[in-house]
Amino acid sequence: MNVLDVTDLSIDFPTARGVVHALADLSFSVARGRRLGIIGESGSGKTTTALAVMRMLASPGFVSGGSIRLGDQDVLTLPEDRMRRTRLRRVSYIPQGAMNSLNPVMRVEDQLKDAIVAHEGRTERDALRTRLADAFAGVGLPEHAGSLYPHELSGGMKQRVCIALGVILNPDLVIADEPTSALDVVTQRQVMQTLKDVQERIGAALILIGHDMGLMAQTVDELVVLKDGVLVEHGDTRRVIEKPHHPYTRELVASVPLVGGESFLGTSAAAQEITRSRKDLALLEFENVQKDYAGITALHPMSFSLSGDEPRIISIVGQSGSGKSTMGSIMLGFNPPSTGRVLFEGRDIARMSPQQSRVFRKNVQAVFQDPYACFNPFYRVDHALGFPFRRFGYATSDAQVQDRMYEACQAVGLDPDLILRRYPHELSGGQRQRLIVARALMLNPKLLIADEPVSMVDASLRATILKNIYDLKDSHGISIFYITHDLATAYHVSDYVMVLYKGQVVEAGPPKEVIGDPQHPYTQLLIASIPWPDPDREWGGTTTAAEDIAALDAMDHDAPTVFRGDVPGFTLDVGK
Amino acid sequence: MGRIPRSYLLNRVVTLLITVWIAATLIWIIPRLSPVDPADIMLGRMAAGAGAVENADQILAQLRENFGLNDPLVVQYVKYIRNVVTFDFGLSTATFPTQVSTLIARALPWTVGLMLLSVIITFFIGNALGALMAWDRSPKLVRVAIPVAMVFTSIPPILSGLLLMWLLAAKLRWFPLTGAYGLTVEPGWTWGFVQSVIHHGFLPALSIVIVTFGFWALGMRGLMITVQGEDYVTLAKAKGLRPRYILYRYMIRNAILPQITAFALKIGLLVAGQVLVERIFAYNGMGKLLYDAILDQDFPVIQGVSFVIILMTAVSVFLVDLVYPFVDPRIRHDGVET
Repeated sequence: MNVLDVTDLSIDFPTARGVVHALADLSFSVARGRRLGIIGESGSGKTTTALAVMRMLASPGFVSGGSIRLGDQDVLTLPEDRMRRTRLRRVSYIPQGAMNSLNPVMRVEDQLKDAIVAHEGRTERDALRTRLADAFAGVGLPEHAGSLYPHELSGGMKQRVCIALGVILNPDLVIADEPTSALDVVTQRQVMQTLKDVQERIGAALILIGHDMGLMAQTVDELVVLKDGVLVEHGDTRRVIEKPHHPYTRELVASVPLVGGESFLGTSAAAQEITRSRKDLALLEFENVQKDYAGITALHPMSFSLSGDEPRIISIVGQSGSGKSTMGSIMLGFNPPSTGRVLFEGRDIARMSPQQSRVFRKNVQAVFQDPYACFNPFYRVDHALGFPFRRFGYATSDAQVQDRMYEACQAVGLDPDLILRRYPHELSGGQRQRLIVARALMLNPKLLIADEPVSMVDASLRATILKNIYDLKDSHGISIFYITHDLATAYHVSDYVMVLYKGQVVEAGPPKEVIGDPQHPYTQLLIASIPWPDPDREWGGTTTAAEDIAALDAMDHDAPTVFRGDVPGFTLDVGK
Repeated sequence: MGRIPRSYLLNRVVTLLITVWIAATLIWIIPRLSPVDPADIMLGRMAAGAGAVENADQILAQLRENFGLNDPLVVQYVKYIRNVVTFDFGLSTATFPTQVSTLIARALPWTVGLMLLSVIITFFIGNALGALMAWDRSPKLVRVAIPVAMVFTSIPPILSGLLLMWLLAAKLRWFPLTGAYGLTVEPGWTWGFVQSVIHHGFLPALSIVIVTFGFWALGMRGLMITVQGEDYVTLAKAKGLRPRYILYRYMIRNAILPQITAFALKIGLLVAGQVLVERIFAYNGMGKLLYDAILDQDFPVIQGVSFVIILMTAVSVFLVDLVYPFVDPRIRHDGVET
């Protein structure tokens, strides 16, 4: 018996420029206990499909054809109140963005209680308490978590709350829409394991929506590949990954960067002759830098020196909370270290004159995680690109500004004629992220701090954008600090890798050694947590994610850093 | 959360005191920058009343002595601060020799009664209507009618007040034209008096409500639209909650937060906010007191009223600071957003 039958489903969005067909003639079914993946880029119609099943399509979208049946119920013709009762009880939805899925002004337990009460009416208090305790225990949350407010929980914990909520009424079908998109690899593996366990326990069907082929390979039995609202491939996960019929599927499979696999970078752009003024001075140095927040050490004392003789890419990897973003903001001078000094070309960045500070700002540029929050929505792209250039006094004429903007756009693979006169909201996340790189490039910096530059863009675009950034090293002579939790990309782009765990460097060295053959248990855990697009490869080995983390917590945190070899031009000293 | 930490409370109280002190000082400095001599004005008033004043110079000197204007500035300032602490703003020059504090004490209850009530009513009506304007399940009629009603927001209160007076008081004779209570009733805690006060207060209150509810409604509408797009509202729907419950507990509950801060600032302004409304309805409140004092250049009264306005604003902001963390758990009592 199928839990869900979608037949010839079409969804249209009437817009001012005509009707957009968000989904055309989509058909698939899921049976109890099965796991189905829907994969595609943003805009491919995967979330639209999920919302249609919930009958929660945002206006003005509407179902223009086909049918959706949840068991014996016809979703499209059900009266409104019956549909409301169907949600959560028969089909539950775990939305994207665990960060904001919970009401910030309500305690977590109240947000589970109100769901139970809405479906079952007044429930006895003790029975309710037992059920909540069971629900929290079922997703591995401590019992007191219920009395907390959402902002007091970590991202992974919030997502578990959403899973607990999704299964609290034992639905027939759970739809999880990119449930781990905002989480780091280790937490992702933990959360996905929880989701699978819970789903198996209640015997429900699961639809997993996502864009990561590796995650799909490790989770689902059956895959639906969507492109522009059209189903291009449908079949057993193993078959789809091993013998993809459609070229788009092949592209999706190939776009996943693999540790040790073939480099996605291809041949680099022709190297330019770069003239460097002060070859003798280190470009960036940390001198015993330490950072404490309210008595907690976010970054333990560390020193490093990056030489300016040749451009290099240094990767800083670790989970959220490992201190890697703190390092980035210290380098940018946004966040002064608690002790120690940061030197740029031999000068303490905390003691620069306004003039020197301007030169520093120009020379050290940043690319951040969220491409949506980085543009002022009021200005066109050409203003956003040209403004810093003019402000730093590089503009000699409008024509020259124009030329530089064209160059910068082309360097990151964007067509300037299509891009420059548009507003940020008219561009995709991938285009925006490339523009941020272009904007940094306009100023001809010496150093680029890239903090998770691709974690919010589609998997298929990640490789392209990373290649753009990577090419800057040789074509423009820019050194880069690449801060990420994605070890596969760090493996390919970097000259040197530092693995950060709870504010300490646990392993460091060239990527082939550190990532290709990790020695420290934490590095090993990070690598084991990468979901491989290969159904035969066990995700995380034999131990569960929770066991791995417990083992790590029990470890001696004063163990010395594992150094895996040196790279010319970069020295690291963690003072132990 | 839970109880308010003592350090936080202390911090807020000190901030409150400093704000009030700076305000009191400014109120003292500003009139001293003015070229107008209060003793001159009083004399002028006497002259206007009596035709001519004998011994003008002597009286002038005497007045200056009485007002303490001959003391060095520092002495004047210290005396002033000492007086302010005891709410002693000296004597009114226009209704000499009445104490300013007596005038304020007489006017304040009327204003606080009328204005506080109408501001609170406006806050609730405005926010409720704003929420309904944005809610996708509101009846069509509601969503069309409210924006039309908001035309009143663009009318100056004095005009809408006159319009209401003409229609409801002069034409229909439902309400009295002016005053705070009937001339025939004796002030006191009698039913007849309370009835008369409510009857008289209705029109001014109504004119304030219809003019200012749009401020809250428009703000709330914008906030609601933002909240409507939040993931937690999507999840609330997916949970199968009843639409009305989602409206109250998920949408309004979150959208109202910035409005509460705005409300604290409005409370302070309400004393002076509707000067003209009190004026046209001849309502003997703080607004009318201030209006008359400005016309008469009655500095002590202006100072006193200004001080009360600042005090009320500072106190209401202080109260909101204390209450806010209970309304929004993300704000902690140490003032740090988590």
